[in-house]
Amino acid sequence: MPRQTIVIDPVTRIEGHSKISLHLDEEGHVEEAYFHVTQFRGFEKFCEGRPYYEMPSLMARICGICPVSHLIASAKACDAILAVRIPENAVRLRKVLNLAQILQSHALSFFYLSVPDLLLGMDSDPAARNVFGVMQANPAMARDGVRLRQFGQQIIEWLAGKRIHPAWVVPGGVSSPLTAENRDRILAGIPEALAIATRALDWFKNEMERFREEIRSFANFPTLFMGLVGDDGGLEHYSGKLRFLDAGGHVVADYADTTYPDYLAEIAHPWTYLKTSFYKPLGYPDGVYRVGPLARLNIIDGVSTPRASQEWAEFRELDRGAVLSSFYYHYARLIEILYALEKIEQLLRDPDALDANVRAHASVNNFEGIGVSEAPRGTLMHHYKVDRDGLITWANLIIATGHNNAAMNRGVLQVARHFVHGNKLSEGMLNRVEAVIRTFDPCLSCSTHADGRLALEMELRSHEGELLDVCHTR
Amino acid sequence: MPHTLIVGYGNVLRGDDGAGFLVAELLRERIRDPEIQILSQQQLLPELMEPISRVARVIFIDASVSGRAGKFQRIPLRPAPACARFTHHATPESLLAGAQSLYGHTPEATLYTIPGRFFETGEELTPSVRRAVNELAATLEVELAVRPSRGA
Repeated sequence: MPRQTIVIDPVTRIEGHSKISLHLDEEGHVEEAYFHVTQFRGFEKFCEGRPYYEMPSLMARICGICPVSHLIASAKACDAILAVRIPENAVRLRKVLNLAQILQSHALSFFYLSVPDLLLGMDSDPAARNVFGVMQANPAMARDGVRLRQFGQQIIEWLAGKRIHPAWVVPGGVSSPLTAENRDRILAGIPEALAIATRALDWFKNEMERFREEIRSFANFPTLFMGLVGDDGGLEHYSGKLRFLDAGGHVVADYADTTYPDYLAEIAHPWTYLKTSFYKPLGYPDGVYRVGPLARLNIIDGVSTPRASQEWAEFRELDRGAVLSSFYYHYARLIEILYALEKIEQLLRDPDALDANVRAHASVNNFEGIGVSEAPRGTLMHHYKVDRDGLITWANLIIATGHNNAAMNRGVLQVARHFVHGNKLSEGMLNRVEAVIRTFDPCLSCSTHADGRLALEMELRSHEGELLDVCHTR
Repeated sequence: MPHTLIVGYGNVLRGDDGAGFLVAELLRERIRDPEIQILSQQQLLPELMEPISRVARVIFIDASVSGRAGKFQRIPLRPAPACARFTHHATPESLLAGAQSLYGHTPEATLYTIPGRFFETGEELTPSVRRAVNELAATLEVELAVRPSRGA
């Protein structure tokens, strides 16, 4: 049998545009696999020359799903350029906004993008394996998903003025304080959202048994894990130190987040526009690490809210060291939803939550600034240099999906070797190769739109171009 | 609770694509009726299914790539599920189907489309499209003075 290449193009139910290629040897075994990101954005270059204070709004345009995450990391980098310590209530309100972003994005990832696989099955009819199929099969669950995402977005709108691309987070703080009316509206919605999160968690834990093969093969291998932790080692999404943990569950190092160039490096590959980052002391590929919900729940010493803390303790019993299977990203995402809701309530019940002092003012005091926060998909880094007029001369962004790039590629290879065999393809095989990518919930900078060709086609060809098999989704 | 929901959508940074969004903005300035909810959005999202299910009438306003520039079209809509492989693509018909399926009600629905000429980067509308935006806003202002029955 000749050597062959299988191309899955596009990868569906993720944020952004990509394809997967699988390279088979003469015996039909998967020899190599690549996750190609096919879109190019260029934000790091075209922001050069713009004033620093435009950066949060400009950078929020990177993405329609996680604009708030870019807004926050960018504003933190600008705070560093101003060299200001922002007011305590500005930090509190930024945290609430960041958690609302995590809430709505996790709800999107779980209910809209992954529940079709989890509820209907990896091998179910692909024509119905989408959010509309979920509506038919389990309307209550679909309603829960819609409601939870709606609540997250509503919080963003009540705080920041609009759901997508708000400009409320500014260098030095936020542009306006929270009103009592909006605080009360958010608090009033928490109990219903907590009930939804609890239902989803219970459902997922009951269903996990059906996915033993996927748990075993979905990017289940040792890597490092990285993310922010609070000063007490607890779960933290806004600020703290950056922790690296090994697969055995041992802390490798805690670093100041603003010194990332000392311990992280990026490389480019010829087959993708997405750069790959790695932990410098171990080099590449030994320094491959994962970020995001799974990493965050692996690296921490505890959770500061009661119900999420209880769920985290149960989660950590999945493995003796770090929890390694990327299938558990789904599980971690649900625990983080619970945490976000509890934490938002804690923050808003603070007696100073309505304090009007929410912005510090200064001009350029540093020529360089680094902002780091936890976005839904993992650690987000914005790094800018400015001239004496405050104009951007250089920018570097490391997004969660870049941190995860090497692990995603390795995960595609693992799942393809497990499920794809020989010269006969099935749609279920194809879907599992895509589904391992969905566990990471990659965000490929999604302000570009799909080209309208929604159907998926996978071709199996010989090295001479002979078509051996074709697999379609309708 | 409003009886009518108006959803104007499109990208105002892509020239004529923002026509629907801008009609909604004009209507928001002119109509002060608590029974009419007006949303201007960059794109349609699944979260709209729930508010759609609560009203007697929904009006979608969008730009289109075909048709005679300077005019607008009125298209009655029926619910129709769509394939949802990406998160960025929802149709008015699929939202109506979702409203029916999840919340047990779908309202009387109409789509107004405004043909555009240029969809490149920029905030300016083509003059003929600007005229159509103003005409549609004026037409809807009159039409919306007539209330639909709650049982629709």
